[in-house]
Amino acid sequence: MDKGSDKDTDKRAVPVTRRRFLGLGVGSVAGVVALGYVGLAFDFLNPPPAGAEPLREVGQTGDFNVNEPRLVTYKGNGIEQGVYVINLGAEGWLALDFHCTHLQCAVNWVGSVNKFMCPCHGGVYDIRGHVLSGPPPRPLYHRVIKIQGNSVMVGGRQA
Amino acid sequence: MKGWLDERLHTSSLFQSLFAHPVPKRSNFLDYLGFATLFAFINQAVTGILLATVYHPSASGAYASIQTLQNSVAGHFVRSLHSWGANFMVVLVGLHLLRVFFAAAYKRPRELTWVMGGILLIATLGLAFTGYLLPWDQKGYWATTVGTAMAGYVPVVGDFLVRLLRDGTQVTGATLTRFYAVHMLVLPALLLLAFVPHFFFVLRQGMAATDELQEAEARGEDVRKISRPFWPDVALRMAAFVLLVGAALWLIASLYPKGLGAAADPLNKAHFTPEPAWYFFGIYQLLKYFPGKLDGLAMVGLPLIGIVVLFSLPWLDRNPSRRAKRRPLALGLAGVLVLGLGLLTYQGMNSVPKALAGTGVIAQPSYSKDIQPILHNSCLQCHANIATYPGTLKRVTPGNPETSLLYQHITGSVQPQMPFGQPPLPKTQIQTIKNWIRAGAKNN
Ligand code: FES
Repeated sequence: MDKGSDKDTDKRAVPVTRRRFLGLGVGSVAGVVALGYVGLAFDFLNPPPAGAEPLREVGQTGDFNVNEPRLVTYKGNGIEQGVYVINLGAEGWLALDFHCTHLQCAVNWVGSVNKFMCPCHGGVYDIRGHVLSGPPPRPLYHRVIKIQGNSVMVGGRQA
Repeated sequence: MKGWLDERLHTSSLFQSLFAHPVPKRSNFLDYLGFATLFAFINQAVTGILLATVYHPSASGAYASIQTLQNSVAGHFVRSLHSWGANFMVVLVGLHLLRVFFAAAYKRPRELTWVMGGILLIATLGLAFTGYLLPWDQKGYWATTVGTAMAGYVPVVGDFLVRLLRDGTQVTGATLTRFYAVHMLVLPALLLLAFVPHFFFVLRQGMAATDELQEAEARGEDVRKISRPFWPDVALRMAAFVLLVGAALWLIASLYPKGLGAAADPLNKAHFTPEPAWYFFGIYQLLKYFPGKLDGLAMVGLPLIGIVVLFSLPWLDRNPSRRAKRRPLALGLAGVLVLGLGLLTYQGMNSVPKALAGTGVIAQPSYSKDIQPILHNSCLQCHANIATYPGTLKRVTPGNPETSLLYQHITGSVQPQMPFGQPPLPKTQIQTIKNWIRAGAKNN
């Protein structure tokens, strides 16, 4: 209710009758309950943030030759998952998501031409995941990668 | 019994008001398509409940549970019924929509019936899309991956939408659980919520086909000659038509039982190329005509326009006439749209690789019988014009394989080796192509 109507002596102001009071009360309680359900639904359906995956070890630094991307796999969320780990030598390490950024087919590293290629619509990426040709609108997603001692750790997606 | 019910619920007057009206003789089975759709839905509900009693909704159990089901005759048949039933339902909804459009039945005063029908159409397609993932085979897994990825092209919220659909950044067990809930609970509930008013409006307003009788009556004509009573004449015709549809469904489901492909492999080690269910082939094919950065437009813009037009059609189309002759624009536009979609769907289905018979090397290959199918399977997805004779000839020097671009690329003597990013063609196919070029690359 707007406060104005109490002070207002305007004849058109609607008096708060019992019926109107009850109606408003029932209406607002129903509104709050409905909002509660919506909020719960949102909480349940809200997906985890993109980078939520925990760091996990996927190999030893010695397993990865320089400039030879390798798809390492692990179990997660009920499925076999994978990530390309790339040892760029002096330039450090890179972990690339293997889903093409066009429509998310799985890209393959083709060693003979040193490129990632997507079989679906011919997307091509270089070793760092930059688009060389084809429809992909952006580079391959980076995943978090950390070298701890000798072990290679990979985490969730970076924006 | 009848009297007992009537005494309490006044069923006979209810029955009278619902079913006693006359229907014009001109009305035919096309006006029963909605009823047939309802039958298809009931089939989906019954077989769906049966499937739910044996299905394991998890990434580790889904595929195995379907495999087990396929081993029992009744189980396999129920799955075929459900899968074919989905196709029937999509087709029947589509035909029903076309019929209603053609008869101009969406116009005043039946706008709301049409809008509810729009919701039913979307719920049906949603059911088809979510159901595709549930067997957790390669087809479903990758169609879902690509299908949900399209939502990523929505401006600003795209990435969030994709994660919302998948419950994560990729299609995982969590996606399966989510799709299962949507397929089993959310969409059927939506469908029923839209169906009840949809059906109620029809009962309340009568079929659009009956309007002409009321007009004739108002003019003081005797309508008995041009009509037949709904009960029992038309009702029986309806039932007969629906039974025919049902018989066709059972026949097809038993003649062409639903198979089960390889289990989902999220790493796609076998280089499976994703393809959608056939009713999404139109969009799939359309994407090929939107080069580069424009394809986002085809994935988001066109469907959005489609939905907006669908729901606002009764108000967009201000032409009050229901006669086909007086609606050239509406019918013309719709005709172009339907033809276009049909053509796209046809093209899309044809450009999907089919398994080639393992024929080995062919010494004297024919272009249409031996070469074209290989090109169709392995090149057409990227090279739109390669599988026509002139298109092939552009890449071939007749008589000389070694200097033919086609041969050079499939052998890798000129990089990049084709098919791009996939394993090379089998040696037998390469040899067959070589033989054909050497023999003069004839159009035979
Ligand atoms: S999905 Fe990779 S190019 Fe389209």
